[in-house]
Amino acid sequence: MSAVKKISDALVARIGDILIGKDQEIRLALACLFARGHLLIEDLPGMGKTTLAQALAGALGLSYTRIQFTSDLLPADIVGVSVYDRDNGSFEFHPGPIFSQLVLADEINRTTPKTQSALLESMSEGQVSVEGETRQLPQPFFVIATQNPVTQAGTFPLPESQLDRFLMRIKLGYPDPAAERKLLAGDDPRTRLKKLKACINEKTLQQIQQQITRVKASDSLIDYLQRLLQQTRSIAELNDGVSPRGGMALLQCARAWALMDGRQYVIPEDIQACLIPVCGHRLTGAGSDQEIISLMQQVLNTVDII
Amino acid sequence: MQADWQIPRISLLWLLVSMVVVIGLHVEHLPIWLLSAALLAVVWQIQNYRGAWGQPGKHLKVLLTGLCFGGVLSSYSTMLGLDPMVALLVSGFVLKLLEINHRRDALVIVYLAYFVAIVQCLFEQTMMTALPVFIAIMIVTAALVGLHQSNQDRRAGNRKYWFRPLQTSVVLVIQALPLMLVLFIVMPRIGALWSVPRHQDSGITGVSDSMSPGDFSNLSASREVAFRVEFEGDIPPQPSLYWRGLVFSEFDGRRWTQSGPWGYRDKNLLQWHGDQPAEWDSQVSRHGQPLAYTVMLEPTNSPWLFALPTARPDSSGVALTRDFRLYNKLPVNSEKQYRVRSWLDYDLESAGLTPLRRRLELALPDGFNPETRRVAKRWRAENPDPVALINRLLKQYNSEFIYTLKPPLLGKHTVDEFLWGTKRGFCEFFASSFVFFMRAAGIPARVVVGYQGGERHPNGDYLLVHQYDAHAWAEVWLKGRGWLRVDPTAAVAPERVEMSFTDLFGKNKDFLSDSLLSLERYQHISWLNKLRLNLDALDYAWTKWVLGYDHVQTDLLMRLLGRIDPMRIGMLLVIAGAIALAPMAIMLFRAREKHYRDELDQQYVRFCLRMERAGLARLSGEGPRDYAKRIVSMRPELQGDVTAITDLYEAQRYKNEQFNAGLLRQKMRRFYPGLRRKVRL
Repeated sequence: MSAVKKISDALVARIGDILIGKDQEIRLALACLFARGHLLIEDLPGMGKTTLAQALAGALGLSYTRIQFTSDLLPADIVGVSVYDRDNGSFEFHPGPIFSQLVLADEINRTTPKTQSALLESMSEGQVSVEGETRQLPQPFFVIATQNPVTQAGTFPLPESQLDRFLMRIKLGYPDPAAERKLLAGDDPRTRLKKLKACINEKTLQQIQQQITRVKASDSLIDYLQRLLQQTRSIAELNDGVSPRGGMALLQCARAWALMDGRQYVIPEDIQACLIPVCGHRLTGAGSDQEIISLMQQVLNTVDII
Repeated sequence: MQADWQIPRISLLWLLVSMVVVIGLHVEHLPIWLLSAALLAVVWQIQNYRGAWGQPGKHLKVLLTGLCFGGVLSSYSTMLGLDPMVALLVSGFVLKLLEINHRRDALVIVYLAYFVAIVQCLFEQTMMTALPVFIAIMIVTAALVGLHQSNQDRRAGNRKYWFRPLQTSVVLVIQALPLMLVLFIVMPRIGALWSVPRHQDSGITGVSDSMSPGDFSNLSASREVAFRVEFEGDIPPQPSLYWRGLVFSEFDGRRWTQSGPWGYRDKNLLQWHGDQPAEWDSQVSRHGQPLAYTVMLEPTNSPWLFALPTARPDSSGVALTRDFRLYNKLPVNSEKQYRVRSWLDYDLESAGLTPLRRRLELALPDGFNPETRRVAKRWRAENPDPVALINRLLKQYNSEFIYTLKPPLLGKHTVDEFLWGTKRGFCEFFASSFVFFMRAAGIPARVVVGYQGGERHPNGDYLLVHQYDAHAWAEVWLKGRGWLRVDPTAAVAPERVEMSFTDLFGKNKDFLSDSLLSLERYQHISWLNKLRLNLDALDYAWTKWVLGYDHVQTDLLMRLLGRIDPMRIGMLLVIAGAIALAPMAIMLFRAREKHYRDELDQQYVRFCLRMERAGLARLSGEGPRDYAKRIVSMRPELQGDVTAITDLYEAQRYKNEQFNAGLLRQKMRRFYPGLRRKVRL
């Protein structure tokens, strides 16, 4: 199964050429897509969120559209509208940008809840209903949404139930000094993006997605995972712990992570790598986001694997 | 000055609670103004925390300090003594609350709170006071725990959060209990380096060092326990239980007091336990078998002790006085336990009195009770035999007098008015008039006060003597027979002596006038009486085993160690401490052991422990693969083995359906000898 490892290493290398110094985040994003999940990237403007999304689309060879969310965007702008065709004398459906394999929903928290829910519905169902007619979305279908931290002015924060639709949330953060120097010295990432060639095709992607379900999670590992979940529920500082759905999502991601590492079985390190990206946005508490992340880190340090 | 450090909310709460509790312990002996000041300080601190009020300025603080000092001085009019010192300590404690600027200040408050709580034991050491002190210590510890709770994981509104410090503190204190027991048993008691003076009028009831009409009616109304006695044999019958306390030989017309040491020509007036018998010890001849018993005396703040005649002390620090009473080295400020041997059959100073002594025992103040003096002289002339005279007077009492706890008030000539007028009174009236009469008739006589009788505890096998058993009687000196006890009260109300006091007056609900809450008030309700007696048995056990342990300790340590020296005591402390803490260690170890699921994990943990000894401990929550990576990065030479072991463990744990721990064991067995060399264990 090192085939998957080879493919994912190649993908990471290729995307890493464009988004320099962020291999771990690229890996997580890939794991999320392999696990058939949608990805939320949260960070300040200019940290490379859009670049990552574009590079992913390019390297995976998927059809790609980008929707820039604004406060006046309407649901019809996403799913499409029927327009009267005078030649045929009938209404003809003009599909919106959502009909694409990889949709980049840029700054999703800038638009109104109504438009947000139109996108999120299509994410969970894999289909859209327009004027009474249900239309299938292409397969595979990924949404990569980006958002600015909620503290910024003029945003509509996503409610918890909708955050739950995203399998993973990652933050990019500032590059380290070496990576930043390399970034500043090199070409404009946009020109490099144009040169990016796909290194897998749709079929391989689907194969990988199927293989993930066969990755083994042993009893000891399930036990460890359960203890982790239990621990998140006993923290007084959190409103609630991780839900069972969150737990399943975590295991799914850990499987993808293990497979990308060339293993057919999950080890605790896989869970540890995925815990914060998968569960961080599903938890709410009195503290800031940063405090919740440090609480999760505490959980990892408290629950021993043995 | 602005606070540069915010107390965690939770810690402030517990600080305030502990302050209230600790000061609450002292409520009884603090002036009202200090309690209000404490309340004000609490309110101020809360308001300050909420930002409503500022911190008090420097000048205000100086002013408050001065006010408190002045307040203490004016409340007690002295700075010496326990009560004013405690008031001063508490006022300092209260003022400190107003200036919590640093973490250090909060810690000072916590430590002060411990101290203030413990100071309560200087006042009283009964079980009923020890329990609140114990609880207060737990609460103060909770404040200390709260102070160390991180500010970050704060979450108001969650009730669990607020009680967490208390939970931790209760667990801590309970864990400390075994060690506390060891220290209690082994730690040598250091004798009092100084004695803390207490005010005489601090409200302790008991026999005082003088007697004037009406004194005993207060005592008779008190149901407090005076002392408890445990006999080594049977308890003697009620009528012989005369607990001698003080001997009064001087009378000023109204008040009986002790006479000074005048009249005795002896060098030492005190004969300590363990001393050679003094010369005057031969003045008493003791017949028959002695009665051995131990007295557990409640604090009296006086040095005199109570015993049956004629006594010989059997405990160190207790002396026999020249007038054959027992005397303690220091005033009895806390429960005192002493062993005594008494000979109920005795002759006291039958050889004769020194002339000066005789004069003292016959002295009467001029200008008082002319009628009695006249009658006494006449009677003496009619009855040359003193015994006949005594019997005649007792008969007079018996026929005409009434024993009552509510006698009419007496004027200047107390004895005259009582003997020839009111004829109503209780023990001290009888004793006082009897002695006066005898002296007037030329027979040496003196008043003895103490207690008479006692309540036999139904299951405790000990005797309970209450304050209402306080009694006064007389002793007359007859030529050739020495001092003889005469109880004129017995002549008028023999039941008073033959029955216990409550048996006699129990039906009359008014005779004791104390609180409605007192259990003793409800002796006629049988289950309440049972409860009272059971509580007393508990208190008795506490007094005997906890407070009285000091007396047993030396013997116990002697028997245990053979010889008492610091080295042996230190060893005993260490060993006993280790034994006390061992169960906890085993419990912790068990908890860790139980955590291992199976042999595979055990083997892996063994590997981790080996690495830990090499200085490469696995962190909590660290996965095997991360751990191996870390080891290799620090000790590249171990790479081969560590990776092999980790891979084997990982594969068996997470990859295969079945595992074979033996494989891992084999691999490790090969690895360890090399490891020892490589990491230079």
